[in-house]
Amino acid sequence: MRLKLKLMWAALKMFMRQREAIIWTILLPLFMVFLFSFVKFDGLGHVAIGVVNHSQDTTLVAALRTIQALKISEGKTEQELLHLQKGERALVLVIPVAFQQIGNDSLTLYLNAEKPQETQTGKLIIQRALDELALRQSHLPRHMLRAELVNSRNLTYIDFLLPGILAMSIMQSGVFGVAFGFVILKKRGILRRLLATPMKIGDFIFAQVCTRLLILMLQVLVMVGAGVLFFNLHFIGSIFNMLLVALLGGVVFLAIGFALSGVSKSEDQVAPLANVITLPMLMLSGVFFSRENLPGFAHVITDFFPLTYLADGLRSIAIEGATLVDVLPQLFGLTVWAVITLFIAIKAFRWE
Amino acid sequence: MNSVLVVSHLKKRYGDLIAVDGVSFDVMRGEVFGILGPNGAGKTTTLEMIETLRPIDSGQVLLDGLNVQREPQKVKQRIGVQLQSSSFFDKLTLTELLLLFGEMYERQVDAPALLEEAELRDKAKSYVTQLSGGQKQRFSIAAALVNDPVILFLDEPTTGLDPQARRHLWGVIRRIRSEGKTIVLTTHYMEEAEELCDRVAIMDSGKIIANAPPQELIRQLLAKGFTKERIERLANLEDVFLDLTGHSLREE
Repeated sequence: MRLKLKLMWAALKMFMRQREAIIWTILLPLFMVFLFSFVKFDGLGHVAIGVVNHSQDTTLVAALRTIQALKISEGKTEQELLHLQKGERALVLVIPVAFQQIGNDSLTLYLNAEKPQETQTGKLIIQRALDELALRQSHLPRHMLRAELVNSRNLTYIDFLLPGILAMSIMQSGVFGVAFGFVILKKRGILRRLLATPMKIGDFIFAQVCTRLLILMLQVLVMVGAGVLFFNLHFIGSIFNMLLVALLGGVVFLAIGFALSGVSKSEDQVAPLANVITLPMLMLSGVFFSRENLPGFAHVITDFFPLTYLADGLRSIAIEGATLVDVLPQLFGLTVWAVITLFIAIKAFRWE
Repeated sequence: MNSVLVVSHLKKRYGDLIAVDGVSFDVMRGEVFGILGPNGAGKTTTLEMIETLRPIDSGQVLLDGLNVQREPQKVKQRIGVQLQSSSFFDKLTLTELLLLFGEMYERQVDAPALLEEAELRDKAKSYVTQLSGGQKQRFSIAAALVNDPVILFLDEPTTGLDPQARRHLWGVIRRIRSEGKTIVLTTHYMEEAEELCDRVAIMDSGKIIANAPPQELIRQLLAKGFTKERIERLANLEDVFLDLTGHSLREE
């Protein structure tokens, strides 16, 4: 036990003294969250409407401007139609000189055929604004909606993204850290030198794995901590559950790393293999974007990616406050993967 | 006869290539034994089989009375190993590395004393990557001494070193020998073998073709009537180099 602890301590020291390692495992994921925190994917977005007002009356334009879902820009007909053709406007509304005076037909609406959803929404809102104006003049009694504010947790993109990035960095540091680390130990003869000592090599692997898992827990704590402190993460889950799921995922990716270092002779061989395994998961496991929009078959396949289990598990715990029972499917999926990857790692690992 | 290492009929084959072909030799306690030969002669493979790092195809090795194949763990406790490309963890200081290696033998290590022995005392807090070639080799020897081994194996310890660093290393090896350690080393420098070894085995194509003290081998050669056509030279370019850069073998 003493030797295992000493080996772990040495491995931790080496990690802490390695600036690149800290940058890759801790700072880079945080930086990615920071970058994405500027992107606003939330809600429907705005419907861009170009308005060409030939009349003196500005009531309609003023009314439209108060509606937050719209982005109003005013200009001349030709200009606005040009913008519409370039896709910068969803609709262009032309208000005639005789607006408000006659009351029938009068307004022209140009629709961008490429943006059916936005044009439909825009059309409804404009019609609604016109009705409002007409009703005001008629003084007829009408049904009013009484709106009450309900406190919701208004989850943002960061809430979706941060647990995903955490899962990603667990995958990257597991696969790349171990694969590169061991290939280098192997290639430079360090493993061979260790084999010449009476140390049980299992102790060495054990210490390496434990150190990696410790670092992984540090990643979880730093990400969640920074998320809550700086990125307004709506964290309502249990940090212990987070750590547990993260550890299980960590085992899967460490095992993949060991397997890769087993089949590769040099860094040049490891890099492409590691990328082939991690890139598809990075893209398709719902780290950056929800998998909802994936076509059916891709959706089904990606359901079974280890990174999907890890990202979904971490996300449900973090922002939905899911219990371990709630994430049982993810725990089960990761356990199956752990068994598979450990088996492959043991078969593939070579000392020299 | 006090043999600390008895190698008999050692064989190793890689596919069609017979790397080591029935090698036998004894090493006496306290001597420096050299295995000489060109690259590919099978020196390293022989050493690695003795060191438990490579499976033995056939033959037997007794090290301090232990059968290497049967009791590899006990053998590892008693040997110090410097591999040809001995390499160490990057971000640990020399002192930390020695202490860690000591732990692998479950021993408390006097790191300053070992570094002193390898003349690396002022590098105690350096990383291996910050050492010169000669310093690396000397550290590698210090690391091989952490378990106070019965035999020290050095695989081409001076390959790739400049003359000064080589002589410096010879000094270290001689001192370790004078402390009573048995040393087995491989080299392809005849000069080095003549300088350091009590006895040498000359290997070629996996076989030992001669085994005797260097002076004895030279006597045998001369007895065969060998004469070397030579021009008397009282000094060579290496002597000039050493004279110009300092005999005191200043730190590289």
